[in-house]
Amino acid sequence: MPRSSSNTPAAADWNVGRRRFLTNSIAGMGSVALASLLSRDGLLANDAIAAKPRTSFDLTARQPHFRPQAQAMISLFMHGGPSHIDLTDPKPELNKRDGQEYPGEITYSFINRASKKLLGSPFKFQKHGECGTELSELLPHLAEIVDDICLIRSMHTGINGHESSIRYLNTGKSIPGRPALGSWLTYGLGSESDSLPAYVVMTDPGGHPVDGVRNWSNGWMPSIYQGTVIRPREPRILNLEPPARLAGTLQQQNLEFLGKLNRRHFEDHEGESDLEARISSYELAARMQSAAKEALDISQETKATHELYGLDDPETQEYGTRCLIARRLVERGVRFVQLFLGGQPWDMHNSIRTQLPKVCKRTDQPTAALVKDLKARGLLETTLVHWGGEIGRLPVTEGDPQTGGRDHNGQGFSSWLAGGGVKGGLAFGETDEFGHSAVVDRVAANDYQATIMHLFGFDHEKLTFLYNGQERSLTDGRPCRVVKEILANG
Amino acid sequence: MYRVLTWGCLFFAAASGAASDEEVVQPEAPISFEKQIRPIFRTYCYDCHGSGEEHEGNLDLRLRRLMIAGGDSGAAIEPGKPDDSYLLVRIREGEMPPGEKKLPPDDITTIEKWIAAGAPTIRSEPEEIGRGLGITPEERAYWAFQPVKRPDVPVFAPQDSVRTPIDALLLAKMKDKGLSFSNDASRLTLLRRAHLDLTGIPPTLDEIVQFLADDTPDAYERLIDRLLASPHYGERWGRHWLDVAGYADSEGYTANDTERNYAYKYRDYVIKAFNADKPFDEFIVEQLAGDELVPLPHQNLSPENIEKLVATGFLRMGADGTESGADDLDLARNQVMADTIKIVSTSLLGLSVGCAQCHDHRYDPISQEDYYQLRAVFEPAYDWKNWRTPSQRRISLYTDEERAAAAAVEAEVTAVATERNQRQEELITQALEAEVQKIEDKELGERLRTIYRTPADKRTPEDVALFNKHPNFNINPGNLYQYIATSREELAKFDERIAEIRKKKPVEDFLRVMNEVPGNVPETFLFSRGDHQQPKYQVVPAALTITAPEGERCKIPANDETRPTTGRRLAYARWLTNGRHPLLARVIVNRVWLHHFGRGIVPTPADFGTAGQPPTHPELLDWLADEFVKSGWSVKALHRLIMTSTVYRQSSATDDAKQQIDGSNFYYWKKPVIRLDAEIIRDHILASSGALSGAMYGPPIPVKEDFVGQIVVGGDDSRRSIYIQQRRSQPMALLTAFDAPVMETNCEIRPISTAATQSLMLMNGDFIMEQSKKFAERLQHAAGDDVRRQLQLAWQLAYSRPATEAEIDETITFLNEQVAYLKEHPITPPAKKEGEPDPPPPPTPQFEALANLCHVLLSSNEFLYVE
Repeated sequence: MPRSSSNTPAAADWNVGRRRFLTNSIAGMGSVALASLLSRDGLLANDAIAAKPRTSFDLTARQPHFRPQAQAMISLFMHGGPSHIDLTDPKPELNKRDGQEYPGEITYSFINRASKKLLGSPFKFQKHGECGTELSELLPHLAEIVDDICLIRSMHTGINGHESSIRYLNTGKSIPGRPALGSWLTYGLGSESDSLPAYVVMTDPGGHPVDGVRNWSNGWMPSIYQGTVIRPREPRILNLEPPARLAGTLQQQNLEFLGKLNRRHFEDHEGESDLEARISSYELAARMQSAAKEALDISQETKATHELYGLDDPETQEYGTRCLIARRLVERGVRFVQLFLGGQPWDMHNSIRTQLPKVCKRTDQPTAALVKDLKARGLLETTLVHWGGEIGRLPVTEGDPQTGGRDHNGQGFSSWLAGGGVKGGLAFGETDEFGHSAVVDRVAANDYQATIMHLFGFDHEKLTFLYNGQERSLTDGRPCRVVKEILANG
Repeated sequence: MYRVLTWGCLFFAAASGAASDEEVVQPEAPISFEKQIRPIFRTYCYDCHGSGEEHEGNLDLRLRRLMIAGGDSGAAIEPGKPDDSYLLVRIREGEMPPGEKKLPPDDITTIEKWIAAGAPTIRSEPEEIGRGLGITPEERAYWAFQPVKRPDVPVFAPQDSVRTPIDALLLAKMKDKGLSFSNDASRLTLLRRAHLDLTGIPPTLDEIVQFLADDTPDAYERLIDRLLASPHYGERWGRHWLDVAGYADSEGYTANDTERNYAYKYRDYVIKAFNADKPFDEFIVEQLAGDELVPLPHQNLSPENIEKLVATGFLRMGADGTESGADDLDLARNQVMADTIKIVSTSLLGLSVGCAQCHDHRYDPISQEDYYQLRAVFEPAYDWKNWRTPSQRRISLYTDEERAAAAAVEAEVTAVATERNQRQEELITQALEAEVQKIEDKELGERLRTIYRTPADKRTPEDVALFNKHPNFNINPGNLYQYIATSREELAKFDERIAEIRKKKPVEDFLRVMNEVPGNVPETFLFSRGDHQQPKYQVVPAALTITAPEGERCKIPANDETRPTTGRRLAYARWLTNGRHPLLARVIVNRVWLHHFGRGIVPTPADFGTAGQPPTHPELLDWLADEFVKSGWSVKALHRLIMTSTVYRQSSATDDAKQQIDGSNFYYWKKPVIRLDAEIIRDHILASSGALSGAMYGPPIPVKEDFVGQIVVGGDDSRRSIYIQQRRSQPMALLTAFDAPVMETNCEIRPISTAATQSLMLMNGDFIMEQSKKFAERLQHAAGDDVRRQLQLAWQLAYSRPATEAEIDETITFLNEQVAYLKEHPITPPAKKEGEPDPPPPPTPQFEALANLCHVLLSSNEFLYVE
């Protein structure tokens, strides 16, 4: 179901949207799935805040604890660690003392690679927009939307390793095996679309990110909350196309007959939720065949849109296509889309002077285009866009100052959020004078998660999942806060 | 400033509150140090304030009086005054514990209440305390560490349909809830259930008929016996074991993911062991120490000894990147060890010991020292200081005769090769002389010949310049044929002779084994924070302390002098299987139960510790464990016992009243419906279509990427799934979609997922399309054009039951509808090409419709789920 472009989430709308979803989807739903949907809807309507963790699971659209600002999220995950001091967080003092010893203690990464010699940024910074936030010359397109973003300069995981830090940001803790943010949102809100998966992951032609499929794992939640992978090349979704001879009427007849057999089988096994889930899963798959094909078809977009995302430039074409698809998916009711890169392109231990411009070139224009495009369509208000990695980089050099790079830094780095109820034109938090540690208004990974849950209408401590007899949450009882200062209405 | 002040005040408070130093012993205290507080401290504090030799800030939290005595910062607690207790102040302020992991609010409240109540203990505290955390009586009292205790089995009236003690133990719990067993499932349901459960292959048409015709009272029992005797039983149950053993046909760890060419022998060993009902204790001993049961040297091996050696492949299943490009070799070697310990502990002990690699276990009484003592058992075989790579660990199967024969062949080859080189040299000389002759300037000719005979690095620059002007003097074996046309053919004859001789060489086959180098007795150190670069002190081999009663710890001699190797693994294996281990038998019977009912009695089969879930039916677990050991560790006897019980024979049909009482079927009032495992979905599709091959064992069937990048079978696609290559980096799409593990280390339990991507695979995937056609061909072949007979057959092959008349009528309507459509939309036959035979006629509408029906049946819930 397409999201209305003027969908300002006023309280009334918020409830209407839910009902509209039901009416629209009746036509496509099997009676069993529908019956269960309706009964659950009744249950939820009386009890908006489900007090107890659930024991049966589906993707029915659900209401959060309170009125949400965001209804969907696109996370542009920049794993590897973009160098905040070269991109988003200017440090005059560091530049001034280029080549000198770092005066304090450095929290090095696991393997001590970096030196203690300060490395000023070789790139120039300039103020942009009405807000006057300073950004690097490497991000000219971001500069154009700087009044729409909330730049957080005080992100903190305290972990310098990629995998653990990614897990901390994406799953609430650094240990493996936990559900990802997308799983939590899907678990909490269900699917807004009845023909597309709720949680989509878009992988890079360069391969999976580090830690592979764990990045979109449902952990100990049921697998319906796992991210569905859209591949970087055709076919973007495997087995999506029916064989030529079957497509159309024949497959439809097949599925109708299959549905008949399955429902009769289910009548003898009421209460076996797996059987029911599989019936729905065939129904979703059938709808996905046309819906996903349509959603992935960017040929319907105008030439201007293609140009906006840089699809006419070989350097931005691939990432731009994915950003554009992400917008099309969100527009069609996908709840959470996360884009990954392959091969750790931001992880610049070497050649930061030559490599950083390249990665920026590849991603800057499409990224800014996404925000512009969402805004132009009135979708930015309800769509939260996230850009950021799991770490930043150290102010000291690794290797030769001319040809070398910078090592990992989980003590302080930048991310930005846009739309979805976040204040635009804000630069929030600070790192120290060298950019090593977040010192003012530190936003730890759990604060970031608590804030996102808040934007989606959840008390992060109350959206729980019962696992091994314990009620678990995304932030799992760890001390953290909703960063109210960055909320548009906070 | 603030902190210093607080701190000063506290110091005075502590000094003035000396009276609180006295013990407060309250055996019935609702919150006591032993029961609630110590487990919290174990999780959050003891790494720095308890387990080590030294304590941070000199604060030791292991005893109440030590907390009161405090450390450098003074008293940590002030009994009766939580707000004045420095420990609580620092916890509340989020300063302790340092790092990410903080205490949850509930735990903080518990500590507050405890201090407010005067910080009571249950027992008087000891005068002395040694190093480490030790094990408290509370920790010892945990159910999983108690010896197995065979419970009394309640007696029930005949109408309660109790057939075995299993039923009695289950019914005892059910009755309290007003539940009872459901009726037995129909005979055909039982037939299908038993077949798929035990062999993973549905009954054949003949087997269906025979079973229905057998009206003797023990027909079902004999069916179970028949299935247990089937060679396909081992393929099904071996697969379950391969999951926990972490079976893979590649080394993993690095992107190369080198293939393991001989791992399949371990897979075959497992299948054979299950088929032979090898007593499970023996099965374990062989896997842990089979090499120590075979006399050295490991040459001229008998089949029995080969089997014992292959069994140790169990310990070689962890990813091993030490030969395939790992960056940090020491790290990679130690990782092999860590993975192996994980496999051993999760599969046999049902404990996750991995976290004790870096620090004392946070939940269970497993110290870091315990971990390294267990590691010491395996150190002589996995000695990271004297590492052997996978290829260095192989054992050749050459017998002495074969080795001699091979050497003789190689000698023969050398002789021919020498002859060939001589002839080649002669030909080169002949060519050279011809070139010299061609030069009119004799002196120049002589000079060029001399330069030619001078090794390249000895030539002067002038020589080189001159030589380069006469490129035709650059004669070498590669271009010799340009000088003497017949030379190529002549020399090729030698190569043919060599190839011919080599054919006589016996093929050298290898085993993938775990063994030790005789005489190598390495030391094992405890690694600080698990870092092999930070050895702390030496430890001796031993089993985990908690797995034996107090004072009866299993210590293993560092070196058994009666053997050429250390004998550590054998000693450990024998102790582990002595029948008194608190975990082993429980863990194994729990796994068997899990695969019969879809969930374990302990729902976390690889974690029986406090972070896992407790048993739903502890008496049943103990009864089964005890019975298993008493039966001589016979897994087949265990199957028979479970499957002849009422609980297993129940119908899966729902019952509204019971559903109201126990919607999750916690009490087993019906047989749970279970989705087929990934491999069985594929095997069943092949069985229904008639394509399934009965071939067993042997090298894995290779996989390949298809044109869109999905991993599919790249060889014989009719073999059972267990024989398909399991390369870590190339997991087969169809199998992983249905939750088959992609091995990282091992798979403790498979999730059961239901996703649209699975549906797409069954709707549009190549494999199912192809098999549906084969299925339809089979039906036409067997039943001709008689549609009703075709359908009867289809139902039996897909669902193992006859179709009802209503089903047949309804299906005929479906088929007619499709045929009508297909007739209107015929396939355009491919154009006949000049000079090529006629293309095969397009399938008839009747055939296409039938194939579509087969497709529907093979993707339906009745097919995918076993009742």
